[in-house]
Amino acid sequence: MIRASLNDPSYENMTPVQSDDSSGASGEGAAANHSRAALAPASRGPRRTPRTSLIVVLPEDHIVSPASLAERLPIATGCDVDVIVACAGQPINLHALQRTVADAQFLLAPAGTSMEDLRELAMERAPGDIVTLLSGALQSQPARVELEIKTS
Amino acid sequence: MPAPLSVSVVVPARNAARTLGTVLVALRESDLPRDSYEIIVVDDSSSDASATIAARHADTVIRLNGRVSGPAYARNRGAELARADVVIFVDADVVVRPDTLPRMLATLAAHPSLDAVSASHGERAGAPNFVSQYWNLLLRFGEQRHAGARAHFTSGCAAVRRSAFLSAGMYDEWRFGTAGLESLEFGQRLHGAGHDIFLDPALEVTHLTHWTTASVCREAWHRSTLLARSLGYQRTSVEAPGEVVFTLSRALTPALAVLATLTLAAAFLPQPYISSETAIALGALLLGNLSVYRFYANTRGLGFALAASPLHLCVQVVSAVALCTGWVLRDAVGDILPDATTQAYSEVGLEIWPPVPRRL
Repeated sequence: MIRASLNDPSYENMTPVQSDDSSGASGEGAAANHSRAALAPASRGPRRTPRTSLIVVLPEDHIVSPASLAERLPIATGCDVDVIVACAGQPINLHALQRTVADAQFLLAPAGTSMEDLRELAMERAPGDIVTLLSGALQSQPARVELEIKTS
Repeated sequence: MPAPLSVSVVVPARNAARTLGTVLVALRESDLPRDSYEIIVVDDSSSDASATIAARHADTVIRLNGRVSGPAYARNRGAELARADVVIFVDADVVVRPDTLPRMLATLAAHPSLDAVSASHGERAGAPNFVSQYWNLLLRFGEQRHAGARAHFTSGCAAVRRSAFLSAGMYDEWRFGTAGLESLEFGQRLHGAGHDIFLDPALEVTHLTHWTTASVCREAWHRSTLLARSLGYQRTSVEAPGEVVFTLSRALTPALAVLATLTLAAAFLPQPYISSETAIALGALLLGNLSVYRFYANTRGLGFALAASPLHLCVQVVSAVALCTGWVLRDAVGDILPDATTQAYSEVGLEIWPPVPRRL
């Protein structure tokens, strides 16, 4: 996986997820067809503390507030936190997310990918021993337009 | 500012891909507001898709890579990460009802002196086969007989105040590396520390595990040897009489005594009397189990009770032999201990993740 620089908000640095029949809105094994080589390396070797990952799940028209994201980040203090933002389609408040998280990996799935499938896809790429999953909330249309204007 | 969490649900899972999805969906469909509780799944080195299935529904997934640590260890890791004041342990094969979590919370809120609430096996098992129904009802029988206050802490679904859980020393992950009596033993310690446990007979959950005759006999063997070897029969029989091992062995012990007496007497009697001795012993056994069979008949009808009697007899014999084996092992080898590597790591105080099991 390529790490996206949050100072450079271009989608070129982000990891697209191949769309196929099984990665739609159904099926618990949706991500199982992806190459094992694409998965995050499992944690190896002895460590004193657990490695932690935070997965932010953003289906279409969903956002996560920087406040709730910041609230979950301190839970994993004391060690490195791998933040993975799994989006279906184009994330709405990308800039706000970038300001909150210093470094994050972006996982771009096709528009229409369900919340559960996004979670499963991101989980397969998360290297942490402790993985926290934070789901975005559905964004209403007027608020979405306002947010897009602000962030554009 | 988000509302404070009212409960953390901890689900230990080991190769539970078949049932975990159903279990987590049922938790998500609880009557509690979704943002008022968190679901923590602890994946105990599964070799199947348990972790990814957990990710579909849970808020936190803890992956214990490496050796298999057992449900006691997994629950402890989950409870350490829990953010709410109440922790509910739900096994990876247990389906809660929409009102299970709110009722548990309501009971704890209504009785501040109460520190834990246990749920009971539902009347019907999730698997439809006869052996699963038999085993489910047997466990339910033990729980229903000893429901109410001073009950034992059930492993399938039970709520405990986090402060009480921590102050009682959490699960004994040192001795109980496999599933079995870890909840029973923890309940004893909770009682010992002055905490009260309430088993609500109306609070029912459904167990999805598919049992066969062989797996039921293995379970009876495992529970009985573990009990005899690690806890001691008499002490536990007084404090946790609802455990299935007592249901199994309560009637068998006098029946075996009767049989032994008659067999000894048979040495002085002519041959035809032997069959009548066996009949008397079997009669004693059936009489001793009358309450179990009555329970089966009332719940499922006379036909079910009659069909269950040979299986019940078989499981009782396994349990009795296992109890004796456990006592012999306790005298010959001693209490249950983890493997030598774990003991060595603990001795030197090695700090790694996942952590070395802690001694109580």
